[in-house]
Amino acid sequence: MDAILNQAFAGLSMASILLIVALGLAIIYGSMGVINLAHGEFVMLGAYAAWAMQSFLGFSILVSLPFIFVAIAVVGWVVERGVVHRLYRRPLDTILATWGIGIVLQQLVRMFIGPESLFVATPTILEGNTVIGAVVMSNYRLFVIAFAVAVLAATWGLMTRTEFGTRLRAVIQNREISECYGIRAEKVYATTFAYGAGLAGVAGALLTPLVSTTPSMGTYLVVDAFLVVIIGGVGSLIGTAVAAGAVGEATALFSMLMNDTLGRIAVLLAIILLIRFRPNGLFPQTIRR
Amino acid sequence: MLEATNLYSYYGKSPVLQDIGFHLDKGQILTVLGRNGVGKTTLMRTFMGLTDRMTGRLMFNGKDISAMRTSERAMLGIGYIPQGREVIPRFTVRENILMGCYARPDGKRVLPEFVFELFPILKEFMDRRGGDLSGGQQQQLAIARALAMDPKLLVLDEPTEGIQPNIVQQIHDVIIRLNREFGITIVVVEQNVPFARRVSDRFLVIDKGRVALTGAGADLTDEVAEKHLTF
Repeated sequence: MDAILNQAFAGLSMASILLIVALGLAIIYGSMGVINLAHGEFVMLGAYAAWAMQSFLGFSILVSLPFIFVAIAVVGWVVERGVVHRLYRRPLDTILATWGIGIVLQQLVRMFIGPESLFVATPTILEGNTVIGAVVMSNYRLFVIAFAVAVLAATWGLMTRTEFGTRLRAVIQNREISECYGIRAEKVYATTFAYGAGLAGVAGALLTPLVSTTPSMGTYLVVDAFLVVIIGGVGSLIGTAVAAGAVGEATALFSMLMNDTLGRIAVLLAIILLIRFRPNGLFPQTIRR
Repeated sequence: MLEATNLYSYYGKSPVLQDIGFHLDKGQILTVLGRNGVGKTTLMRTFMGLTDRMTGRLMFNGKDISAMRTSERAMLGIGYIPQGREVIPRFTVRENILMGCYARPDGKRVLPEFVFELFPILKEFMDRRGGDLSGGQQQQLAIARALAMDPKLLVLDEPTEGIQPNIVQQIHDVIIRLNREFGITIVVVEQNVPFARRVSDRFLVIDKGRVALTGAGADLTDEVAEKHLTF
């Protein structure tokens, strides 16, 4: 029983990172239909930014998080303005282009920083564990979970409670008529892309104390994040949150029951079955026109 | 107020509108008539910059708007009410009207009260989703949305198409009121010849992408209608 609870906590902590990565992806895919294969590299850049700020400026990741968000958002904005924005009418080409951008970013990091894995310290205030009964929870992981919940709430607020969110939702539903009412769709798209990229950067920074920072660290994560987006249902924040929880927990529990490899296979099989019976995900958008 | 000279408008390489010219003074009503598929909607979309390309000159309020982007034209005070209404289906009535305010250059974000006096039903349905309204209610909502931007010019594309007769009457009355009481200049695509004759200061009959006939409202006789508007 204790083993299960401990594993469930590990799953939750994994799910929280997945949630932040997948939220960015879901917003970008849900609003502009762009499958951003460079998203994993935005995560990686976030991790390297955390490393750089620690080694050159001595900032702990808690301090550098806002800077990393802005920095990676700027990278996302440049990618959108430079490449993605020219390809909105050619979705397949967008996949190829963003994949290429991902490879370029990875190789740049490999060339200028090096392929070896880097170390980023856990912030000192978050060292140590909290023990409840037989469940041992690292304070840092607890912080990450709380942070992910806060990011989800903030994103939800941004989408539903701000004028930017209303503009974005208008553009998603009817781009032409939105333009007829003074909304510059391309500006909205660029900002949304930047926000999604910024979230990826934050997720990467949060990951650094948990996994080793390498140029290819984002590749595995982006696959899982895509699974989360598809399971959750496109355009649904709640769906993304629930799916992130489900994928994280399922991975953790299956890995305990079998082993990591078999657990992974079991999770993928479960997802294939789910998509077979619910092709639009858990929370599809239902609308009458 | 609105003036087109030698206007060509294209979808891809085909010039859908050719050599369109007219002018409309402030406070006037222009009706645009013509059979199906002659380019009436394309003309309205050209005003908003929604076609692929246009050449020629399009002046609004003393400014050449032919190279401006759609959102900039909206900001100048052109309220567009497209064919098929196009209210935002997952927005509530309130959000749909509020969206009209995004085209206000003064940055105000308030729902204008007189809109609910014109269309009391909208006040009642404030929190319903746009997509759940009937066609007539959606049309009223689309007009309300355009009014929220405090427009100088309203462009209405077949506002009474596919709408039940008692609401058609109401919408016609509103168009006249907006023009007479609020002084809004109006361009309206309309199939109803008696209505067009009654309200138009100017009319424009379009055929095969060109202006077939233009004149003052009273010139829109039954013979004209017979010749250009029947099949």
